[in-house]
Amino acid sequence: MTDNTESNARNDRIRATEENLIGRILDGEKDLFLELIRPYQRTVYATLITMLRSKEDAEDVTQDVLLKALARLHQFRREAAFGTWLIQIAINETRMRKRKMRHGTMFSLTSAADDDGAYVPKDFADWREIPSEALERLETREALAKALALLEEHYRLAFILRDVNELSITETANVLGITRGAVKTRLRRARLMLRDILSPGLQQGGQVGLAFKEVRNPWE
Amino acid sequence: MGITCEEVWRDISDYVDDELDQKQRAVLEEHFAKCRHCAAVLEGTCNVIRLYRDERVLAPPKGFHDRLHARLNQKLNQGPDERIHPSRRAVLAWALAAAAAVPLGFALFSAKRFILPGLEHQSPTGSPGSPAVKGLVAVSLDANNKIFHIPNCPYLHNKLKFLSVEEAIRQGYSPCPICIGKRKLEKKG
Repeated sequence: MTDNTESNARNDRIRATEENLIGRILDGEKDLFLELIRPYQRTVYATLITMLRSKEDAEDVTQDVLLKALARLHQFRREAAFGTWLIQIAINETRMRKRKMRHGTMFSLTSAADDDGAYVPKDFADWREIPSEALERLETREALAKALALLEEHYRLAFILRDVNELSITETANVLGITRGAVKTRLRRARLMLRDILSPGLQQGGQVGLAFKEVRNPWE
Repeated sequence: MGITCEEVWRDISDYVDDELDQKQRAVLEEHFAKCRHCAAVLEGTCNVIRLYRDERVLAPPKGFHDRLHARLNQKLNQGPDERIHPSRRAVLAWALAAAAAVPLGFALFSAKRFILPGLEHQSPTGSPGSPAVKGLVAVSLDANNKIFHIPNCPYLHNKLKFLSVEEAIRQGYSPCPICIGKRKLEKKG
């Protein structure tokens, strides 16, 4: 399938820059590693906080993952993008930790049933755009975090890989070990559900819509 | 040929991802032009993606970058790890050296952390003595404006060049209101 060419060209440029950086780091300019990972600090953290749900755990694992990436940089195969490789390490590491911590339910990426039935968006035609400026308010950011936490983990992960980490559908499928079709199904659900949850006039769960004042961060 | 709203909702996510062929796209677009509800669903979906993509959302807590960089710098300054098989005597020598290095390393590490906290890239003012990587900003070489950005700013495009803040200002660049302005705001908030 065709990804759009403009973003492809952008990705090619990023990739070339990163490959150059990686080559130089492996040749000894280790300080450049900070440069290499800079764009991914937030996305790795954002991914891990949706999987771990505690700020402290997410920060710890993010640090560990980045250190691991540094130690394993020589194993990086250039057929994958660096960001994809990094997030793969992050997800594997988190899965391992969760298994060790014996979190009640076992973490599973593949067995989660995909709700393939059609999702009907709530009849809410007067969607009011949430402007980017609203993100300056803490309550808006917390409402977004809380809305995401309401989704089941397999929807949340597909969404966070594709729409926050900006992986392609194929890369998302590879990282999660599922088909492209399954990624698309999960994305469709996740996006439409988030839209519904965030609709200002819709009282999903009675508290999440951005029209509401009392919003707590679910990860605190 | 028309298409029902249910069919549109099924395809709307693929439409956003540009996963539809031209014909399917055209049918959907024709529908959006006529159906206010579906147009609102599309708009809302795009809005959701745009919001979560913003780096202020799900952002790491305060102090995250400092702590991360301190840990990475510690690792980076350990020097190259040589994996040759050392003799017993060498092992002993290394162990002694390592034992001696621990308090020294710790002292350096704490000094770095407490005396020079401003070195981290979050404060793009940089400092003259900092290593090359820190305080770097990026400019787009083929942009027609003279604006410098934090290297992961979404408004950066095309060919990039990295340079220090001082150098950027000397060359007549001014800070990007989006990425750098935002950091300032965050710090205030």
